[in-house]
Formats: sequence, C-alpha cells, structure tokens
Amino acid sequence: MSARLSFRHVTKRFQRPGQLEQAILDNFSLNVESGELVAVVGPSGIGKTTLLHLAAGLEHPDAGRVEVGEADRSARIGMVFQQPRLFEWLTAARNIEIAAEAAGIDRSVSHKLLAAVGLEEYADAYPASLSGGQRQRVALARAFAIDPDIVLLDEPFSALDELTARKLRMLLLELWRQQKPSGLLVTHNTLEASLLADRIVVLARRPAQVVEVIEVDEPRAHDAEHQVVFQRHRAVLAAMETLAAA
Amino acid sequence: MAVTELSPAAATERKNGKRFWWSGDGLAARTVPGVLFCVLLAVGWEVMAHYQKSPLIPDLKDIWFEFAGIVTSGAVFNDIGTTLGRITLGFLLAFVIAIAIGLASTRSAFARRFFEPAILLGLTVPGLVWALLCVIWFGLSLQTSVIAIALGIAPALAVSLTHGLSAVDAQLIEAAHVFRLSRWARLRYLWLPAILPFLTSGARLAFSLAWKVIVLVEVFGLSSGVGYRLNSAFISQNVAAVLAWTLAFAVVVAAIEYGFFQIIDNRLNRWKRQAQV
Repeated sequence: MSARLSFRHVTKRFQRPGQLEQAILDNFSLNVESGELVAVVGPSGIGKTTLLHLAAGLEHPDAGRVEVGEADRSARIGMVFQQPRLFEWLTAARNIEIAAEAAGIDRSVSHKLLAAVGLEEYADAYPASLSGGQRQRVALARAFAIDPDIVLLDEPFSALDELTARKLRMLLLELWRQQKPSGLLVTHNTLEASLLADRIVVLARRPAQVVEVIEVDEPRAHDAEHQVVFQRHRAVLAAMETLAAA
Repeated sequence: MAVTELSPAAATERKNGKRFWWSGDGLAARTVPGVLFCVLLAVGWEVMAHYQKSPLIPDLKDIWFEFAGIVTSGAVFNDIGTTLGRITLGFLLAFVIAIAIGLASTRSAFARRFFEPAILLGLTVPGLVWALLCVIWFGLSLQTSVIAIALGIAPALAVSLTHGLSAVDAQLIEAAHVFRLSRWARLRYLWLPAILPFLTSGARLAFSLAWKVIVLVEVFGLSSGVGYRLNSAFISQNVAAVLAWTLAFAVVVAAIEYGFFQIIDNRLNRWKRQAQV
C-alpha cells in the first residue's frame, strides 16, 4: 500500500534561546505521489529534518497543512532515523513486534522481516549486542513491519561505514520493491539520493525553497554501479555547485 | 541465537583471559564472599565478648538463645509482620506522593521549582523529627507510623523518580510517537523500563530510611512492632535481645534484598550483560 504526502503552503518557525524567531519553512509546498520515493538534499540546517518531523507528526506547522494519506483513511507511517532508536531492553524481534502490534499487524511478521534483512538468527539478541549495521537493519525491519503507506528516512545510513551503507541501501530497495510504499528520504549523500529516489529535490536558502527538481524517468536502478545513478548524481552535483557559485 | 549471560566482572575477566572462581557467576562465587564476611564478623564478636566478659557484650550463644526464643514463641513473626505492614503502607503512600511530584516536576518547570524547597527540606529533616511530630500530632495509631514513614521517604523517592523520568531518551519518545504505540505500550515498553533502575535504587534507599523511621515511631508511641520490642529489651538492659531482634530484622531485609530487589536487578540488566559477552 502507498499513500500521498503533501506539504501545502507550510510555514514553520523556530526560536532558539537568545535568538530571534526564524522561519525554517515559509509557504513551502511539496508533494510525494503515491508509490513515489522523493529524496531531499541540501545544506545542513536548511529544514530537511523539519519536513520529516512535520510528516511524522512530531512537529506541527505554524501555517499551512501537511496531508498524510487520504481523507478517509489515516496512513501508516514507518520511519528510519539516523540512529536506530531501538528499545535497548527489548530483543530485536520484540522491537519489531511492538511496532507491528501498534499497527494492528500480527507479531509473527517480525520473523519474516528479520529474515528479509538477514538477521533471522538474531531475533533474541538485544540491540546493544548487535553491530551498528545490524541495529540499523532492525530499524529498517521495524519500519517495514507495519506494512507502511509512507516511509520516512532521516539520513538512515549516514552513521554507517560505506560498505555497510551500500548493503543497506540495496536492502532498502528490495524491501521497497516488495511493499511499494511512498517515501521521503532526507540525505546529505547525493549518490545515495541518486540511487534510491524517483525524484530528487534540492533545497536551498532560508526559509527553505525548492531550487531544483531532478525527475527520474527511468525505472529505479537496482545496481549502485548503474550508469543512470551516476548520470543523476552528476545532475544533482551540478545543481548544487551552481547554487553554491550563485 | 544462543545467548550466554555473564556479569560485568565475569565478562571483563573473560576478555582478559583470566578466570577465578570468586569472580565468576556460579553459586559459590555469589554466596561465599557474603558468608565469609558474616563468619568473620561473628568470630570477631565472639573474641571481643570473650575478652570483655561484660553483660553489655553478650557472646554468640546468648544472642542465639534469645533469637531462638523469639522465633519459637512466634513473637518475631507477629512483630516483624506488624512493622513490615506499617512500612508497606507508608511506602505506598510515599510512592503515590512521589509519582505525583515526579510527573509534575518532569512536565513543568514551575512545578519542579515549586517542589524543590519541599524536597530539600524533606531530605534534610531527620527521621527522628518526623517520628516525634507524628506521635504528637496523631497519637498512638496506625496513621502515625504510615504518615511518618511517608514523610520520611517521599522526598528520596521523588528525587529518584524525577531523575528517572527526566532521563528517558527523547529520541525513543519520538520513535514511540511515530510508530503510534498506545499509552499502555509506551508505559510498558518505554517509561517503566527506563525508570525502573532509578525506582529500584530509590526504593532501596527508601526502605532503609523507612526502617529507621518506623523503629523510632514504635519506640516512642506504639505497643507492637520491632521498635517496641527493641525498646523493651533496652529498658530491661537485655543487650542479647536487642541484638536478636536486630538480627531477625536483618534476616528479613536480606530476604527482601535477595528475593526481590536483586531479582528485579537481574531482569533489568539482562540486556546489558548480553551486550558485554
């Protein structure tokens, strides 16, 4: 299942201690179509994570609307954070099960998902006994265990070494192919965005504005070495370099 | 996956390649050091009693006779039961107060600052003062002991709870929100596991404080319980009886420590031990 995610004329302001209130987003609009994976790239502090927090309901807009799913049905949202954010006192399987149960899905799905991410034999292991890559695999499994309509990805592989990150990106693509949710990926890694996304949105300025949209007409590449990925990557870099020069 | 659980000390030794029986996790390693301390204490006491030859320092045989007497007469069960009952009620009242203060202090800066002087005052007032005041105010009744204990231990429990609630990882709270965990699931899988270590350490401290307060209340104003018995033994200058009652209560405290607190600790720390293997 998948659902649409829309930011409609959203304004969000923050006030840090000792500073004037500042708008991170001002009249910002962006649509993620059903089944589409949109990557958002841009400099640090531009408001990328704020977009995810608004979509996840962790923040509320000061003006405008964030529409998640259809009017007659609330969407299931899975999220993969930069850090795995697992409950350290629960086993890998239980971490997945409590998310599944909250979504009304049978807890047995945890074994299926752990097998899908290659951690079947670690079901009874506690997160602290797993490596960083294994913990993030559990976090991926948790996000997909709820049969999500939308998956939010907040720099999900940035804390991992490149070899592990590459494996997990391919794993993410495989899970995506199986469940076909919609998604919003926030990343600093332009190559990652080029590999995973159907559309790449480049943000700049403050308040954040969409300064470049790179549409991907080809089917999503399932090979990190595919030429299409590098073509997209060059386009993203070129857009960012132009912005930096301006 | 097969999971082996080791204590931190055992895990460190395994890493260092050393292995001594006393620092492992076997039954002998867990019991021998404590038993050794008790034996040395008893031997030391016996040597002191032998050389002092004073009725103020009775030997182990006299203490044992007193102890056996209060056990066989059933007095130990009645009076320790009475004292533990009062402690339990006082503890429950203190827990309700501490939960209210802890939740309010975590959610509101105003509440935290409002309760700060009360907690500071509560932590510094000696148990003796609460015992005296409650006997004066409430007379010879159950509520005297319950309120005195609650006043004596609520501040320490509130501090533990407030620290526990403040230490809950905000990132996990966000994850629980995103995955729409129910209130019950959040309480069970997030809040309770996060605050339980603080709660057990606070409960241990509260229990020891409660014991000190209730003995004073029972000495001053009640006609049953361990404090009353200790006072009776004191009036008759029966040091062996004082020590026998103290020993009896120490046995109960040890049973609560090993049969309750350490079991909870073991359950809480299971995931930490597995991580250290």
